Amino acid sequence: MRFSKIFLFLGLFLTTAGLAAQVVGKATKGAFLLKNATIETVTKGTVKGDLLIQDGKITGIGTSVNAPADAKVIDCTGKFVYPGFIDGGTNLGLVEVSSVSLTDDASEIGDIKPFLSSLTAVNPSATAIPVTRVSGVTTVLTKPTGGLIPGTASLINLVGYSPTEMYAGYQAMQMNFPSSGARGRWDRRSEEDRKKDEDKKLKEINDLWAETKLFASISAAKAKDPSIRQTYNPTLEAMAPVVDGSMALMIEVDRDKDILSALKWIKENKVNAVLSGCAEGWRVAKEIAEAKVPVITGPVISIPTRQSDRYDQSYTNPGILAKAGVQVAIRSNNTENVRDLPFHAGFAAAYGMGRQAALEAITIVPARIMGLEKELGSLEVGKTANLFICDGDPMETKTQIEQVFIQGWEIPMNSRHSLLYDEFLERSPGVKN
Amino acid sequence: MTKQLARWLSPLLLFLPLLAAGQGERPPVTNAYFIQNAIVVQQPGTVLEMGGVIIRDGLIQAVGKNLKAPADAKVLEGDSLYVYAGFIDGLSNVGIPKPKEETGRPEVKDPGNPPNAIAGIQPERSAADMVDASDKSVEELLALGFTAAHVVPYGSMLPGQGAIILLGGRGQTGAVYRPESSFFSQFEGSRGVYPATTMAIMAKWRELYLQAKQSKDHSARYSSAARGMARTAYDETLEAFYPVIDGKQPVFFAVENVKDVFRALGLAKEMGFQLALANADHVEPALADIKASKTPLFLSLDLPEEKKKEEKKEGSSGSDSTRTTPTPTIDTKMEERRAAAQRMFEEQAAAVAKAGVSFGFSTLTAKSKDIRANLGRMIKAGLTEDQALAALTTAPAALLGLSDVMGTVEKGKIANLVVTDKPYFAEGSNVRYVIVDGVPKEYEAKKKKKASDPNAKVSAVGTWSITVDVPGQTTTSVLEITGTADDLSGTITAEGETRQLSGVSLSGDALTFTSQFSAGGQNLTLSFDLTVDGDSLDGSVQVGSFGTFDVEGSRTSKPDRQ
Amino acid sequence: MKRYLHLLTLLLASLALGAQTPTGSVHIKNGTVLTITNGVLTEADVVVENGKITGVGKSLRTPAGAKVIDATGQFVMPGIIDAHSHIALDAVNEATNPVTAEVWTGDVLDPFDISIYRALAGGVTAAHAMHGSANAIGGQCETIKLRYGTYNPEDLKMQGAPRTIKFALGENPMRVHGEGNRILPRTRMGVEHVFRQAFSEAKDYMAAQESYQKKKASDPTAVAPKYDYRMETLADILRGEIIIHCHSYRADEILMLLEVCKDFGIKRLVFQHTNEGFKVAPELAEFGAMASVFADWWAYKFEVYYSTAYNAAILTRNGVVTSINSDSEDYIRHLYHQAGKTQRYGQLTDDEALRLITLNPAIQLGIDARVGSLEKGKDGDIAIFSAHPLSIYAVPQMTIVDGIVRFDIKADDNDMRLSVDPEKTEDMMLEYAVEHRCMEGVEGHAAHHH
Repeated sequence: MRFSKIFLFLGLFLTTAGLAAQVVGKATKGAFLLKNATIETVTKGTVKGDLLIQDGKITGIGTSVNAPADAKVIDCTGKFVYPGFIDGGTNLGLVEVSSVSLTDDASEIGDIKPFLSSLTAVNPSATAIPVTRVSGVTTVLTKPTGGLIPGTASLINLVGYSPTEMYAGYQAMQMNFPSSGARGRWDRRSEEDRKKDEDKKLKEINDLWAETKLFASISAAKAKDPSIRQTYNPTLEAMAPVVDGSMALMIEVDRDKDILSALKWIKENKVNAVLSGCAEGWRVAKEIAEAKVPVITGPVISIPTRQSDRYDQSYTNPGILAKAGVQVAIRSNNTENVRDLPFHAGFAAAYGMGRQAALEAITIVPARIMGLEKELGSLEVGKTANLFICDGDPMETKTQIEQVFIQGWEIPMNSRHSLLYDEFLERSPGVKN
Repeated sequence: MTKQLARWLSPLLLFLPLLAAGQGERPPVTNAYFIQNAIVVQQPGTVLEMGGVIIRDGLIQAVGKNLKAPADAKVLEGDSLYVYAGFIDGLSNVGIPKPKEETGRPEVKDPGNPPNAIAGIQPERSAADMVDASDKSVEELLALGFTAAHVVPYGSMLPGQGAIILLGGRGQTGAVYRPESSFFSQFEGSRGVYPATTMAIMAKWRELYLQAKQSKDHSARYSSAARGMARTAYDETLEAFYPVIDGKQPVFFAVENVKDVFRALGLAKEMGFQLALANADHVEPALADIKASKTPLFLSLDLPEEKKKEEKKEGSSGSDSTRTTPTPTIDTKMEERRAAAQRMFEEQAAAVAKAGVSFGFSTLTAKSKDIRANLGRMIKAGLTEDQALAALTTAPAALLGLSDVMGTVEKGKIANLVVTDKPYFAEGSNVRYVIVDGVPKEYEAKKKKKASDPNAKVSAVGTWSITVDVPGQTTTSVLEITGTADDLSGTITAEGETRQLSGVSLSGDALTFTSQFSAGGQNLTLSFDLTVDGDSLDGSVQVGSFGTFDVEGSRTSKPDRQ
Repeated sequence: MKRYLHLLTLLLASLALGAQTPTGSVHIKNGTVLTITNGVLTEADVVVENGKITGVGKSLRTPAGAKVIDATGQFVMPGIIDAHSHIALDAVNEATNPVTAEVWTGDVLDPFDISIYRALAGGVTAAHAMHGSANAIGGQCETIKLRYGTYNPEDLKMQGAPRTIKFALGENPMRVHGEGNRILPRTRMGVEHVFRQAFSEAKDYMAAQESYQKKKASDPTAVAPKYDYRMETLADILRGEIIIHCHSYRADEILMLLEVCKDFGIKRLVFQHTNEGFKVAPELAEFGAMASVFADWWAYKFEVYYSTAYNAAILTRNGVVTSINSDSEDYIRHLYHQAGKTQRYGQLTDDEALRLITLNPAIQLGIDARVGSLEKGKDGDIAIFSAHPLSIYAVPQMTIVDGIVRFDIKADDNDMRLSVDPEKTEDMMLEYAVEHRCMEGVEGHAAHHH
């Protein structure tokens, strides 16, 4: 693809068109027929045949798909088609350059701020978005960070020019669960002080929960009797759908003891919860499975949580959780390198999870956790056309992702990274003499 | 100091400076002393049963059987006392007033090139100039039987030169035995300025050493033929290195771990100076190098806090029984490894002894109150009592070049002795006299606290009259305990002042509680540890860092019904 | 003859006294051998005797006492080399001065660091334990072999490896000294001045030394210039005895250092990170400077915003000797995977990709005569994988250093620490994943700025 003459010509055209050549180009909509492909549906096995995209949906899969005459035919002989990968935890679109604080829209001031919505601050032109989607990651949950309740995370498709256009139909309130663990070696608080801090935070959450319930009942009463006064309270208003269970609460928690206390708290308050992080999930896998709380774990490629842990503990964590019966999705927990998501899954696959479960953990499982299994996460007729064509196993680094479709849009296979490659592989002018 | 505390503890606090000052203002009646019918451990392995020691004018005049008490000698009372050579501390800050702790980075214009004082490079300073015999650290160590110490200044990379001092020696002149006995260094960076890391300390060491060699050579040449030669620059820092370069002064390196041991050995080898390793806690992997280089070694008397077994509730999860993943096994293994690490430190002394390396001890980072217990832990871990005694007496004397005058109970040596009522390392042994420079100091024998019985059924409720036994002074106060066995509270009243007790707990017959005093921004805790037996109790109270004192008491009234 | 015997005795004595490198013998049988320099041999053996490779080929004989390892179905490659690491160090930055050429990480090696074992479990056998990037001229670095199990820091050193030194351009030295201490450099102009000043002063120092050496014999009043360890080190750089490894990101600052080095006659130069190296690949190639890069890190700070994951491919195609490094206690465990990314981003061949983590870093560290490929006479540093190491599904099975097995997946257990806290068992630190130590030791600066 990149070496094709057409591409080189295009690259030349772009560079001669001006120095601001670093634009990735436009997406194209229409009908597309992916012919002769090996289609990895994820949920319905492997199909050898064609796949038809129309109006943003998958409208046909099989050996005899009837395509309209104007459909663009893409020969996929020897190629594979996979559903677009879903990353269940990123800051994509919210953070541009992490060390430049004014480009960080993920971390707001304050501790409890459920009224913040990440969707508001998603920058559709973030440089990392094209970088991510050309890797086959089509859909990401982007989340605010910091404090006890950072705000709501939103699922976005990586195509479009406004957050609303990108919104993929799922939001979840974020919570960083209180912990009595030391933050790092520099944390000089005594064990008792850490426990006190944890208890204090837990109390804050429980108070918030109780206040929200009262607030909701006053709201309900007011609906019947408009004379009832209720003052503006954005915090409780935002918490109401979480407390009544209509919005999921995504609880970030890593340490084994904290996971157990989170599970206890979830049970006591009958929370519609998802656990995220869960780096030490393997230590309490059975309890998580019994609680039937789904987990979005990752990054998989990371160091173990303790010096004494086995060297591969972070790699084996998703597999151990899955084997214990936990519903596990894998995330990158990254911003600029969300494109590594299939590699995180690949490591999980190699270290005990198995390839199929790892593949599901970045496709259908996150879709299920978010209640979007009818729209996303696999290649089935009627589902959103989030998918890509590649020349091999997409978890293998060697594999080239050749064409990505998101909501049926044929995505330009460019990003800052590929454009710089095109410009500098053979620099012109080069070195004088 | 609050009024309340002053009133409550006034006798105690008044007494403390007296303890340090020894005999007070009056000149002693005599300079001759006699210990009779004692078991004299002259040196490890050499024991004189039913022996006597005559001390005169600061020296041991005679040691032997059938000695007669000289007419002018004061006889030190006691039955079957044990006499040992006074202990020698191989490296510490005892008697050196602790400088005020500075917080934050010092204000320096150029942190890469700070003045030497801020950089912690002051080898020209001398501990001998800083010794304060009345510093409370002296009394703490003295009470354990230490009579001499190699002391060094506080500081960073090069805090200054060490001195041998006699503990309890009066004033600076009386205390200092030998000034400038060592050149002290440690891998201690200066916060935020050069040298901040061990990397820079190593580099600075090399540079200073080579500069000093150069300057020493230059000085020698200049003093013989100055005309036409650029003059030597006066540099007291570099001049302080000269005795080290000449091999006349050993470099004492305080080390924190076995990595530091290797680093110091490497640097000494590279530069060619005479090294002594001090305050080492782990040396086993380096023993071959230490032995080959004949490096004097002083092990730390600090040990990791003793833990019998990690409390169950601190396992990595609260529900061990229901887990499928093998974390209980992991937790068990973690605890095993922790315990093994603890053992490893306890076994160092025995391992060094076994390897045939002579060593002394250092109290630099040890808390005085832990030292005897730590010696006991080392003995339990395989160090023989003779080896322990050697490490406290003969070995440090030899390693510090003091064998002629200290380390054994022999005629002609300085009368530095420690006298106990049982063998020093035996359980319940009390130090009765510590003799420094021929001047004895008497210690009260601590009553043996009754072993508490966790299954005893007693009640603590009621009003008690208790006495706290401060040597020479006794205070009486009233203790009021109320409540039920599970929920006790109480007050303590002394000198008309009443304080609340906290943490009152009765477990079996063991009654414990604390009382707080706030004094000049400093919190002082009185921790009582008592055993109740019918209507009497006894035990001890720990008064902050001042020490532990015996407590006795009896019940003066009981509630009508229990 | 007598004289010869005397020499021999001396030699033996020096061996006995010097830091002895423990070595072993192994016979790896019937694997797919990725030699790097001589293609791929299937169903082949590698034999190591007393720490040195003595045979690579089919059906070799087992030397006496050698451990036999069956590699049937497995992949055997040279031990991976990380040209940029901060593992096994008790200190990383002496961040108190813009120039600290005299300090040396070889003085603060930490043999207890669990990262050493974890890196072995990723097939790594040697690493460049570098000073951090706080100073324009940082400290000298140490090339180590991952001889995990020793308590003696000295044992980690790869004896005979050339001296190297860390330099740093751009944001880090500007932030630490300019913003932090209000002293030069606060800008990239200032960074250049630091280099030119340091080297010029070193030249003056060398001249003074030289004039003293000339005068010494004839003039009894001659006095040697005051010994200056910093200047001595800088002089050694000018003499070509120390390889510069320079933390760098932007193309302009890379060109600046090339100019400085040209002006001072310095030839041995490796750029580290080199995120914008792709923009000046022809200049780097022309100079003969090398580049050690991340596979795909970018955008975590402003000076890496205009980066590309195709960097290694562009540099390689332009003839720059390139390596992929970790700069991380995490990434050092999967450099084989990082190298694999150059196949996604730039379609390097297997050989080209594997060179990035074997022979090329060895060349950059000046140790390519001893490690970096499976060849007779080289050190017995070997990694064995369950599948082709560039595959995402490859799991390292065994790692051998000097013929001694230092990692064996079958012998792996919980808790491989050498040093354990005697006072409490370990709990999880919430911020356990602070993995980048390039700026460690710099007060008030987050550790994640590479």
